Amino acid sequence: MSRRPPRGEYIETDTGNKVARKATLVGTQNIMLGGKTVIQQEVMIRGDLARSVQSSSSGGTPASNTAVAIGRYCFLSRGCCLRPPGRLYKGSFTYMPLRINDHVFVGPGSVIQAASIGSHVHIGAKVVIGEFAIIKDYVRILDGSVVPANMVIPSFSIVAGQPARVIGEVPEGGHETFELRDLYKTVGNNLPPAPS
Amino acid sequence: MAPLTPYTFIQCPCSDPSTLARSGDVAPSDADDDDRTFDPRAPRANFSLYPLEYLLYCEDCHQIRCPRCVAEEIVTYYCPNCLFEVPSSNLKSEGNRCTRSCFQCPICIGPLSVTSLESQPDPNLLAAPDHTAAPQAGPYILTCSYCNWSSTEVGIRFDKPNSIHAQLAKLRNGGEVRLTAKERRERRKEALQSGPVGAPAASEGDNGDLDIETQFANLKTFYQTQLADSNPGGNGLSLGDPGFASPNSLSRIMSIYTGGSLHDKKAKSRVGTMREALDSDEGLQIADLDETDAIKMLHEEGCDGTLSTEQLRNQPPHLGGAHLHGRSRFTSELRPIPYLLRTKRSKRCPICRHIISKPEPKMQSTRFRIRLVAGSYIPSITVRPLNVPGGTPAAPPETLRPLQPAQFLLTFKNPIFETVRVTLATPATTPGRFASKVTVLCPQFQIDANTDVWDEALKDNDRDRRRRKGDDGPSQSSSSASAQLQGQGGTHQAEAGKIWERGRNWVSIVVEVVPASLRLDLLPLIAKLAGDGAEEKVNVSPLKEDEDLLEIPMFVRIEWEVEGGGDEVGAAPSRDREAKEKKELAYWCVLGLGRVGQA
Repeated sequence: MSRRPPRGEYIETDTGNKVARKATLVGTQNIMLGGKTVIQQEVMIRGDLARSVQSSSSGGTPASNTAVAIGRYCFLSRGCCLRPPGRLYKGSFTYMPLRINDHVFVGPGSVIQAASIGSHVHIGAKVVIGEFAIIKDYVRILDGSVVPANMVIPSFSIVAGQPARVIGEVPEGGHETFELRDLYKTVGNNLPPAPS
Repeated sequence: MAPLTPYTFIQCPCSDPSTLARSGDVAPSDADDDDRTFDPRAPRANFSLYPLEYLLYCEDCHQIRCPRCVAEEIVTYYCPNCLFEVPSSNLKSEGNRCTRSCFQCPICIGPLSVTSLESQPDPNLLAAPDHTAAPQAGPYILTCSYCNWSSTEVGIRFDKPNSIHAQLAKLRNGGEVRLTAKERRERRKEALQSGPVGAPAASEGDNGDLDIETQFANLKTFYQTQLADSNPGGNGLSLGDPGFASPNSLSRIMSIYTGGSLHDKKAKSRVGTMREALDSDEGLQIADLDETDAIKMLHEEGCDGTLSTEQLRNQPPHLGGAHLHGRSRFTSELRPIPYLLRTKRSKRCPICRHIISKPEPKMQSTRFRIRLVAGSYIPSITVRPLNVPGGTPAAPPETLRPLQPAQFLLTFKNPIFETVRVTLATPATTPGRFASKVTVLCPQFQIDANTDVWDEALKDNDRDRRRRKGDDGPSQSSSSASAQLQGQGGTHQAEAGKIWERGRNWVSIVVEVVPASLRLDLLPLIAKLAGDGAEEKVNVSPLKEDEDLLEIPMFVRIEWEVEGGGDEVGAAPSRDREAKEKKELAYWCVLGLGRVGQA
């Protein structure tokens, strides 16, 4: 095996984003990545579902058309889907932006339709997050949870179940486990050999 | 069964039997041979073992503190749904639930949203400023987007989309507006005025109308007047009347429930009986013992229509409810649940009362003013299997094979800025019926200080040389090392007394276990071999839950020196100024290695 394969598995951007070639990003002009974010294979981000009805207070500027905004050091695992939530607004259907802050891990096979996700959030595998859910900082959502639409999850919650409910609190000593800097380093095209 | 990921639990000293000093609880046969060894299978052990993240550390006592032994103090109350802080003064008057418009579904406890019945639904009510004056009118309901329950199922509709809690308190199931005390009085007066013929009927109707809160208020005023009216004369014989009807016991009961304001010294001498409440104005409520409706409902809806215990437990007491008898027992009678408030809490050491964890009081902030977690004082221990036979290291076997030695790698990571010496001790065999043999190959070692990462980066070459102390060859890349590892032929083999691998602030050592066979027929044989005459007492009952789990109790002792004026830990400078102070900490921990296969 050659040291440097001609075509890496990931596309690495100037800001350090690592986007898998096999990821499906629709409407890329409406997707904002903060940098150092990993997007794995078979991830789908629906940037095409941008806000179609402009609120007239903003003066109809088409520039603020972000559908999905993702912060730094996020990790979108294989097969997850980010989809902006949509609802009726003044009689017509429109999508609303989906905002994700820093250090957010999204497990494989999860579907995210939240309105906003804070920083240091861990979302397990096969989780469904309903439309317009608001997830604050330092939240852990266990595998297989279904977060109902419009649910607000306060900081330091551990959430599980169908429908999801708060089942515990993140302990004081567990804050560091949400850091995703080390995980970011383990993914990419030419990695240093992994320690045994 | 899902393969068990190895884990480490640490025992908090608060549950140490030596400090508890309750030897009577332990059966003497269990205790005499090895009374100092911690048994992770003891029923009590469940309550004292915590993952490292859950433990705090008191800097003044130099001891681990667990969630069970710390003293908590509430800093802030807030609603988990609308995230508004609730002042503690409101808490006393309005209770521990959100009094805004935050409700949970009584069926599935998902969040409820306010929806207009008439026009298009607008669940979030994010009304833009240029919203037309009255875009939505008409009744509003609470709907659950998860299970599609809506408050129309219990006949509750609201006139306004805000302050739902206050509106709901006035509404009964079915949408009937609850009478206030004033309205009730007026209605009664009207009934009396309408004529003597209509009066009895009206008061009859009132009887069923009395809700819990009003009934309590009526009873309270009734008994207060009774107490005031009761004859203060007639001393003596005060001991002989324990009945409920005596003013003596009544005033005592009332002082319990109404805060002692009624307690009257003179009341002690009162005796005799008082009359009881006679009508609904005096708080009389005739019990509705007719359960034919409930039985009919059961016939129609079956068990699905009844409440689960959890649903019943989640139901808040409804003071405006009709009566106490026959509390809502059907799902069709459930009311929306206002969100219980959540708290931010600070934690104190139970011994020295120093604060060891204190969050910012503001709800929005996730920062902590003080956060002394055990993870920044004691080494973390991670476990992973070593020498996976014939497989890739990525896929550990699901179960451990009995009577076959297995090796595990324990990695100790030092969080403090001093070099620590670690001494480990384990019992030779694990406690319990199925005794697995345990050998720690290197029970004593030193972990380097948690120095600056940059120091490490600068002398990176040095590290490679130090990586494998067991190797005598030149430094090698990890890929070849792992190949060698699988081959098992090379120089790199687990050796007694040698550290497996070490890094900047971590050390890996090897633990070898020989899992016991889970065969019950072998148990008497083993006992006979041991020859202590205990073969008659061997317990050959079938395998209990989690008895196949291989858990090793391990005693960890760490020693380090604090330099005078130096920092024990970067975040919290110690105040002692001695030249070199020796510190030590010792605790039990439990290593869960995996399940033993039933071979």
